[in-house]
Amino acid sequence: MTRHLFKLVWNRKRTNALIILEIFFSFLVVFVVATLGIYFWDNYQRPLGFSYQNVWKVSVDTKGTGEDSEAVVAARLKTFARLLDEVEALEPVEAAAGTLVSPYDQGGWTSNMKIDGKSIDTEANVVTPGFADVLGLELVAGRWFEEADEELGWRPIVIDRDLARAAYGDQDPIGRPFGKAEPPEKPSRVVGVVRDFRKGGELSAQGNFMFQFLGLKGEPSWFQPHVLLLRVRPGTPAAFEEDLTRLLQGVAPEWSFRVRTLTQEREAHLRLFLTPLVAGGVVAFFLLLMVGLGLIGVLWQNLLQRTREVGLRRAAGASRSDVHRQVLWEQAILTSLGVLLGVVVVIQIPILDLIGFIRPEVFTGGLVASTVAIYLLTVLCALYPSAMASRVQPAEALRYE
Amino acid sequence: MIRNYLKVALKVLARRKFFTFISLFGICITLVVLMVVTAILDNALAPHSPETRSDRTLGVYALKMRGPENVQKSEPGYGFLDRYARPLAALPGVERFSIASTSQTAVSFLGGKRIESGLRRTDGEFWQILDFQFLEGGPFTAEAERNAQFVAVINETTRQRFFGGKPALGRTIEVDGQRFRVVGVVRDVPDLRFSSFSDIWVPISTAKSASYKDKWMDSFQALILARGPADLPAIKSEFQARLREAEGHLPDPKNFKTLTGGADTLFEGIVRSNVEELPPGAVRAVMFLLMLLFMLLPTLNLVNINLSRILDRASEIGVRKAFGASSRALVGQFVVENLVLTLIGAVAGLVLASLVLEALNASGLIPYAQLALNFRIFLYGLAMALFFGVLSAVYPAWRMSKLHPVQALRGRSV
Repeated sequence: MTRHLFKLVWNRKRTNALIILEIFFSFLVVFVVATLGIYFWDNYQRPLGFSYQNVWKVSVDTKGTGEDSEAVVAARLKTFARLLDEVEALEPVEAAAGTLVSPYDQGGWTSNMKIDGKSIDTEANVVTPGFADVLGLELVAGRWFEEADEELGWRPIVIDRDLARAAYGDQDPIGRPFGKAEPPEKPSRVVGVVRDFRKGGELSAQGNFMFQFLGLKGEPSWFQPHVLLLRVRPGTPAAFEEDLTRLLQGVAPEWSFRVRTLTQEREAHLRLFLTPLVAGGVVAFFLLLMVGLGLIGVLWQNLLQRTREVGLRRAAGASRSDVHRQVLWEQAILTSLGVLLGVVVVIQIPILDLIGFIRPEVFTGGLVASTVAIYLLTVLCALYPSAMASRVQPAEALRYE
Repeated sequence: MIRNYLKVALKVLARRKFFTFISLFGICITLVVLMVVTAILDNALAPHSPETRSDRTLGVYALKMRGPENVQKSEPGYGFLDRYARPLAALPGVERFSIASTSQTAVSFLGGKRIESGLRRTDGEFWQILDFQFLEGGPFTAEAERNAQFVAVINETTRQRFFGGKPALGRTIEVDGQRFRVVGVVRDVPDLRFSSFSDIWVPISTAKSASYKDKWMDSFQALILARGPADLPAIKSEFQARLREAEGHLPDPKNFKTLTGGADTLFEGIVRSNVEELPPGAVRAVMFLLMLLFMLLPTLNLVNINLSRILDRASEIGVRKAFGASSRALVGQFVVENLVLTLIGAVAGLVLASLVLEALNASGLIPYAQLALNFRIFLYGLAMALFFGVLSAVYPAWRMSKLHPVQALRGRSV
C-alpha cells in the first residue's frame, strides 16, 4: 500500500516537487516564528529577580568623558554623593541608589572572568549599597553591600545563582576569590548571592550576573554612576517629578537629568521587542493563509484531473473512505518530504552552533510546534478537495472524457 | 492581438473565481508588505523636507576609536568636528558646513504637567543647509549662536503643547531648566530623519557647560553641503585624510590607536552607525536578497496555482496548437494573462498599503511619522508587481507550451 502511494506521488513528480518546495519554505517560516515565540515566552515565565513597581529612574548626564582627569572624576563622584544624600532625605523617597546601568537599559556591561581556570562571561553592574532595597533583590546567601565596604582592602562582589553555579559548582561561593587581580588593583571576593537578576527584563534570557560595590566617598574608581534609582512610597503623584528635578538641578546646575518611572521604561522596552515580533507574526500568518488557500486550489485541480482514476478505483470496489484515505495519505507523504527537507536544514543550527542563544529545549519546542502546525495546515487543506473527490460516482467518472 | 489576450484573460479570471481570489490574495499580501517597508525606507532616506538637498549633503554621523583592547564607538564630539571636519569648508566644492548636536531628550514642566521634548543644539549654518518649512518667524542666525542668545525654534507639536497652538513668536519656553525665547515655528519633522529631527532647536553656545568644546566622542554631527553631487567623492576622500591627521593627536593614545569614520550620505550613515562591518553596497545587496527571499514563498504559491490553472485549459491550448499557434505566442499569451492578474493585485495592494500606512501613522509607533505613498513608491510597487508576475508565469507557460497538441486535445495532463 505504502509503496503504491509513493509510486503515485512519483508519477506526478514535477508537480509534486513544487508543492514539496512550497511546504518546505512554509515550514521554515513557521519554524522561525514558533522558535522566537517560544524563546520569548519561556523567558517571560522565568523569575525577574527585581520589582519595577514604584521605582523611578533618573538618568544623569554628567557631561563627562573618558578623557577627564582624576581630580575631575573625584569632584564628580562627590557631587553624585551629595545628590544621593539630598534625594534620600526627600519625604516620598524610601530608598535611593547610584548605578552604572539600570534595568531595561539597552546597553550594558559584560565582563569575562577567569575563575578556577574557567572562562566565564557575565553581565555586570556597579552599584551603591541602596540598590538592593530600591529594586527588592532577594538575597539567598551571605550579605549585601554596606556603606562600610568602602574601607575594605579588597573589593566585595555579589553574584546571582546562575553565576555561582557556573563559577563554583556546588561549593559555597561566599568568601571565595572572584577572578585574579593585577597587583595595583584590589582583589575581589564574593560576599553574597542573590536569587536572580535579569537586567534586560522579562524577555531577556536568564544568565550570569555580578554586582560590584561602588563607593562614592573614597578613591575614584574607573566606573562612575550614570543612573539614580529611587523607590518612592506607593501613590506618589507624578507632580513629585518636578520637585525632584528642581532639587537635582539645584545641586548640579551643569548636569542634565531625565526622570522616568521604571514602569514606563519597561513598557517602552517590551514594545521595542514585541513590535517587530508581532509584525513578523502577522506577516507569517498571512503567508500561511495564502499557502493554505493555494494548496486547496492546487489539490482540487489535481483531483479533478484524476477523476477517471478515482472512478476506476470506486468501480473496482473501493469505498468512499478508501478514496478519502488515499488522498490524505498522499498529502501526508508530500508534507513529510517537505518537513524532512526543512528539518535537515534547520538541524544545522544546533549542529554548527549558528545561533548561540537558542537553548536545546526551545529549539526542540520550535521544531515540534512547526512540524505539528505544518501537518495540521496541509491535512486541513486536503480535507475539502478529498471529500469532493470521494463523492465522485463511478459511472460518471468513467464516462468522463 | 494584445486586446484579444486581455479579453481572454479577463474571461478566464471571471470563470474560475476561487483561483482568481487565491492568486489575488497572495499577490496583494506580498505587495502590501513590500510597499510598507519601501514607504518606511523612502520616508527615512529619500529627499523630503527639510532634507531636500540630500543628494548633495554629506554628514559625519559616527566615529570609532580602536585600540589593542578597547573599542569606543559613538557620535563624534564638537571638539573633533571643529578641528578636523571644519577645514573641509575651505574645499572649493563645499558650499556650507554646519555642526549640530543630535536630538537629546529634555524635560519641561508646565503647570505641574510634564513635557518631554527632543532638543537639538545647532549653529546658524544648519538652517541654510536644511530646508525647514517655517510657519512663524524664521531661524536663528550665526550671530545669535556666537553671542549665545537664548532663542529657540520649535515645531508645531511643541507649540501645541506649550501654547495650545496659539502664535508662539516672542514667547518663552523653559526646557531643562533654561529659558528660551521662541523665534520660529516649523512644521513637524518625522523622527526617522535622524540628521534633522527634533522638537526644539537652540544655539550650541547655550549649552550648560563649555565642556563639549574639547570632546572627541560625544553626540554631535557635521553636515557638509556640496555645490553639486559631483563634488561628493572629493569631500569624502579629503575627510579620510583629515582622519589620518587626527589619528596623530588622539586624546588617549595609550588605549586608542586608530580612528575610523566617514563623510556619509544618509544611507551610508545609517549603515555605519549600525552594521559598520559591511560596506553600504553589501547592505543594499542583502536587503535586495531579503526581498527576494520574502517573495520566494508567494512566488512558489503562484507558480503552483498557475500550473493547475493551465492544465485545466489543456483542450483550449490543444485547439490553438492544432491551428498553428507557436509556443512563443502561447507563452506570451499566458504571461500577459498573469500580468493582468498581478496588476489587479497591485492596485488592490496599493489601496491596502495606504490603509496600513494610515494606521501606522495614527498608532504613533514612529513619532511624527508621515508615512504616505507617493509616485516613487508607486513605481517601485509596479516594478515589484511586474517582476513577480513574469517570474510566476514563465515556468507554467513553458510547461504549457511543451504540451503535445494531440494529447492536449484529448484533455490529458502533462
